[in-house]
Amino acid sequence: MSTYALSKLLREVNRNPVTRARYFEDAAAVAAEFDLTAEERKALLEKDIGALYRLGVHGLILRPFTLIHKMPEPEYLQAIRS
Amino acid sequence: MSIVYAAAASHAPGMRAWTKQAPGHQLEKILAGWDTLRQALEAAKPDVLVMLTSEHWANFFLDNMGAFCVGRGEHFAGPVEPWLGIENATLDGDPALATEILNACYANGFEPGFSHEIAFDHGTMVPLSYLTPDMKTRVVPIFFNTLATPRPSPARCVALGKVLGPVLRQSNLRVGVIATGGLSHDPGERNHGFIDSDFDAKFLDAMTKGDLEALSRYADADFFAAGGGTPELLAWLTLAGVMAGQGSDTVCYEAVVPWATGIGMINYSKAA
Repeated sequence: MSTYALSKLLREVNRNPVTRARYFEDAAAVAAEFDLTAEERKALLEKDIGALYRLGVHGLILRPFTLIHKMPEPEYLQAIRS
Repeated sequence: MSIVYAAAASHAPGMRAWTKQAPGHQLEKILAGWDTLRQALEAAKPDVLVMLTSEHWANFFLDNMGAFCVGRGEHFAGPVEPWLGIENATLDGDPALATEILNACYANGFEPGFSHEIAFDHGTMVPLSYLTPDMKTRVVPIFFNTLATPRPSPARCVALGKVLGPVLRQSNLRVGVIATGGLSHDPGERNHGFIDSDFDAKFLDAMTKGDLEALSRYADADFFAAGGGTPELLAWLTLAGVMAGQGSDTVCYEAVVPWATGIGMINYSKAA
């Protein structure tokens, strides 16, 4: 997976309440702990769901990530289908 | 003792997280289906539930991905997802039975991985929340890699079931076996909401007939074509192998678009 580090970060936010709390407090600090490309870091910190999907994040990592942000399903689908 | 209970059911998170978004007539049938499965389980009084199940990157990721993993823990906590709508619970495991299962596998051509530390996500918690709402029945989970290729083949999963059947039947315990996941779904991807009802009907037909040859002839590509989540049915194939070709009944099937999943349940009505 070319987006290995990005997927690992998102998955950690999804499954680990401590990482999740730290992410909501300071997303950039959590991002710095993972080996992201500039493009990946930008998409993450801007919460650009369409970009994250196009970069190759798996739907079963990306959708739960958006559920944690309380994003409704129609908005999620529109973002990944754009 | 024997296998006193066997069933398979979908584990779609929508069943708990967005329950009321399902159309009323479908929801009624699905809740009735869960009632049927739960009542049969309570009548069977299993000591332990072997859960043939899958998960969604909660425990397993590309840093270490095996085909099968047996949960040997003393306890399992869940759900991982804060949005699921199921209260946090901790279930007891059965390390002794897990070891018997592993020993039987290793003596018969299978080398599953194992873990003493597994968190349950919706894949296991959704069915348990309907079947054993008090969360007091011991469980031994066996996880299937359904997410990253290469996956174990359908034929291989039927064969795994044939190895598990005897060790579960020889146990001193009253054993229930529950497969979770499926049926067709493509969650979180561009085709989210796609349900292949024809595929689901054919699959349920083979499961209810106990047609191990037909089930073994599926290819990974057949499952994946019915949606990226459909390979979860590998667990159902292992259940079919455990039940050694015995027939089962479809308890319900509903293609629930708001849950983006073909929801299905089957029940083996005779103890084996």
